[in-house]
Amino acid sequence: MNDTQQRSVRARVTRPGNPGRLLRTMGIAGMVAALVAPAIGFAADPPRPPNIVIILGDDLGFADMGAFGSEIATPNLDSLATSGVRFTNFYTHASCSPTRSILLSGVDTHLNGLGNMDEWTAPNQLGVVGYEGYLNDRVVTLPQLLKEAGYHTYMVGKWHMGKAPGQIPAARGFERDFSLLDGAGSYWDMTNFTGAAPRSVFTEDGRYLTELPKDYYATQTYTDKLISFIDANRGDGKPFFAYVAHQAPHDPYHLPRDWRSRHVGEYDKGWDAVRQERLARQVELGIMPAGTELSERMWFLPDPVLLAPASRAFLGKRMELYAGMVENLDFHVGRLVDHLKEIGEYENTVFLVFGDNGAEGTDLFKMIAGSPGTRDFLFAAVKWSQTHPNAWGDPGSYVAYGPMWAQVSMTPFSQYKGWLAEGGIRNGLIVSGPVVKRPAGSVNHGLMHVADIMPTLLELAGASYPKTYQGRELPALLGRSWSPMLAGEVESVRTSQDVLAWEVFGNRAVRRGDWKLRWQVRPFGKSEWELFDLATDPAERKDLAAERPDKVAELAALWDDYVRANNVILPSRTPFETMEKQMPQRVPDDPGFPPLTGKKQFVPPADMMADPKP
Amino acid sequence: MSDTSSSRTRAGWLALALASVLVIGALWPSQASAQVPPRFYWKTLSGTNAIPVIVNSMSGNTNPFDPAHLVAPGANLDATLAIGGYARMFTLLDRAAMAAVLLPMGRISGEVSAADQTINSSARGFGDPMFELNVNLIGPKAQKNLVDVLRYEPGFSLDVIADLAVPVGEYDSGQPLNLGQNRWYGRLGAPIVWQLGPWVPGRRTTLELLPAVWFFGTNDDFEGKSLETDPMFQVDAHLTRDFTEHMWGSLDGAWYTGGTASVDGVEGEKLDNLAFGLTLGYQINDNLGLTMGYKSTVNDSAPGDLQMDGFMISLVSGWHQIIEGARRLESGE
Repeated sequence: MNDTQQRSVRARVTRPGNPGRLLRTMGIAGMVAALVAPAIGFAADPPRPPNIVIILGDDLGFADMGAFGSEIATPNLDSLATSGVRFTNFYTHASCSPTRSILLSGVDTHLNGLGNMDEWTAPNQLGVVGYEGYLNDRVVTLPQLLKEAGYHTYMVGKWHMGKAPGQIPAARGFERDFSLLDGAGSYWDMTNFTGAAPRSVFTEDGRYLTELPKDYYATQTYTDKLISFIDANRGDGKPFFAYVAHQAPHDPYHLPRDWRSRHVGEYDKGWDAVRQERLARQVELGIMPAGTELSERMWFLPDPVLLAPASRAFLGKRMELYAGMVENLDFHVGRLVDHLKEIGEYENTVFLVFGDNGAEGTDLFKMIAGSPGTRDFLFAAVKWSQTHPNAWGDPGSYVAYGPMWAQVSMTPFSQYKGWLAEGGIRNGLIVSGPVVKRPAGSVNHGLMHVADIMPTLLELAGASYPKTYQGRELPALLGRSWSPMLAGEVESVRTSQDVLAWEVFGNRAVRRGDWKLRWQVRPFGKSEWELFDLATDPAERKDLAAERPDKVAELAALWDDYVRANNVILPSRTPFETMEKQMPQRVPDDPGFPPLTGKKQFVPPADMMADPKP
Repeated sequence: MSDTSSSRTRAGWLALALASVLVIGALWPSQASAQVPPRFYWKTLSGTNAIPVIVNSMSGNTNPFDPAHLVAPGANLDATLAIGGYARMFTLLDRAAMAAVLLPMGRISGEVSAADQTINSSARGFGDPMFELNVNLIGPKAQKNLVDVLRYEPGFSLDVIADLAVPVGEYDSGQPLNLGQNRWYGRLGAPIVWQLGPWVPGRRTTLELLPAVWFFGTNDDFEGKSLETDPMFQVDAHLTRDFTEHMWGSLDGAWYTGGTASVDGVEGEKLDNLAFGLTLGYQINDNLGLTMGYKSTVNDSAPGDLQMDGFMISLVSGWHQIIEGARRLESGE
């Protein structure tokens, strides 16, 4: 029997096994095992823990996968969804490195070093523990613990949690890696965004790269590398943990040419229509309940119906590229899945798929490129000035789809990445693999958080979270293991009394049960607490703060608890501090207002028409 | 942040459209050297209008006003041509089409050897106006609106053209040199534009071919004789490349064969000539395009060979109602 066959057999044997469930059912199973142990003796290898693959889409929106209502073709991701479970009430953080830090440490951002994004650390946060701007050494990482539990640990893709030698993936538990250390950059080469930091920094297996492999394209190369890592260690029988932190579909939308023109004209209908279509599919799929309303079209966005066809086509082409990015990502996920099937590992692999935060609606390039006369503008003029639509996707082009399409990606929610409205922090999650005992293709609405992944996977791997690591006391894990929920024993690992809370860029939110209290700077918020009932208003259309001061007070007290428990220091400076003066005044989105814009040409009755009298 | 980006992107299509619509090719004098310039058959928005002003300075042993290139061995002719014209893009059965009229004018002079005599001759005035109809057969559909402009890429485009010159130009049968040709003539051709690589301003590359056949009527009063010319086959070839978003260049070639002329039944030699040249183009602004070029025959050492070279400079002004109006609104903000 060759290696592949052996692994296949082992995978089949171990499929029913689940360390977490075994532990919980030890009372009964233990007695049974004691009776039959002499009979089975050494007839089989001890169950091997499953492989674990986390596929993280960078800025992938809640509604961007077909399984979550998108028109974008994602057959491979959808296949994972139909063989596993989709989760509709899963929370990340509002921006990338904070989410990633929680994912890999299980600890709140204000403790793990990403209390703010490194790029936006405020003056009053500088030098404060928990705000280092990288994943600090006060936490232990998921790959470190899995490695100690006997796993191979692989990472490909974006890291964004530190660049110094002690902060890179190899130093934080990854045995093999091919990583972009920056938060973004070209998909084609090492070009980054500013004159001060013109080159993206990559590592491979702990060494900083002087150049990229030939024919580099981020999504493809990451996949190739991961497959090579997996294949290199296939023979030793150890399970692997793969953190596939794809750069896609983060802007700029760099895309091979043959992926750019698969949706020409499909988005000319405009963002409102596409949002409505996605919501209808979400209701049909059971992702959202019937009667769900769309969030308001943000007040500064035009009604696409009032735009000239060329404007809609011009803006729609951005979404065409984004759709291509997602489809290309799906294609390479499919390559990985197919490879695991070919080598007999698929059946024993747990997949987790989600986006790291809300879709990106902010014009990052404008923030990065500066204004004429500045250093960064000059850099952009040389490196990032391929602005013609036919160049979109090429090296040197910087295309993002803007807030209108970000709202589409976050259908039906409000706002997008960087904000603590549901559109900034709620994402679609797929979990599949042998650990899932819920009906294949089912949808679950239990409240979940990215911090849950660490305890879940540790339990899955038969590992545990230590009190100390390398002599240092560790902070408590923030999340809850999903094992009972994945096993179908409960619908949610949280009760209506459990609390989730967020803070980044000075915006803050706390959720308990269906109630959410939110404070956001104007004009995206009111610079005061807003209250929403997410059970009836997931799109956060109606602020109930004035009607329910009791609930505001209750949740505000929970917020204060969160601040005290997690070292929260509100920033003295934020990227949004001048926004209110730069943006149009916020007004409600009342469909049909003003009637003027919808008035059609009046046609008098034909029998009352007449020529002018002489 | 987001709001300004939104308005910026909304306005973007207009600038793009401006740049795209008015790149209508310089309307080179098709009579002069029987060749159209590179990028002449690129398509643009239906309803676009263009007026060319073209000046040529040419020398050789043939009358550049005569597309048949009747060679006058030993002649040394100099011509200054100006051509005014008008072209309009339109849609015909969902295909891109163009109708154009070109009116040559100018002067020509030189020594002409005829009937064993060398005489000085000159002519001035208007030549024969030529009408051209062009319809695209293979390639993108007509650009009927700005959305089509946004999405236009020629890929592999093939047109059919029909030219007809009307013999109303100045003609004196007693003169060996004339601007008008005193006969009907025209051309059928199949212009090809083949996009090589991306269609991005600044990086566009095309291979363009124009196989065509010229047909000539009889001039019954060619210095009192009858001039007949066999059909002439012509292939123009251009390899064009953008240097920047606004500047481009082209390597040009042309091959002529056939076109045997008979004067009162006495046949001359069949043409079999090659010419090569260079063209530079520059888009001055959204409405004005400048083209400069030089071309010369190369296999022209024998006395009966076609010898011709010339400099050309053209300025083409293009406009479209939507673009002009939108620009007025934008500039008025």
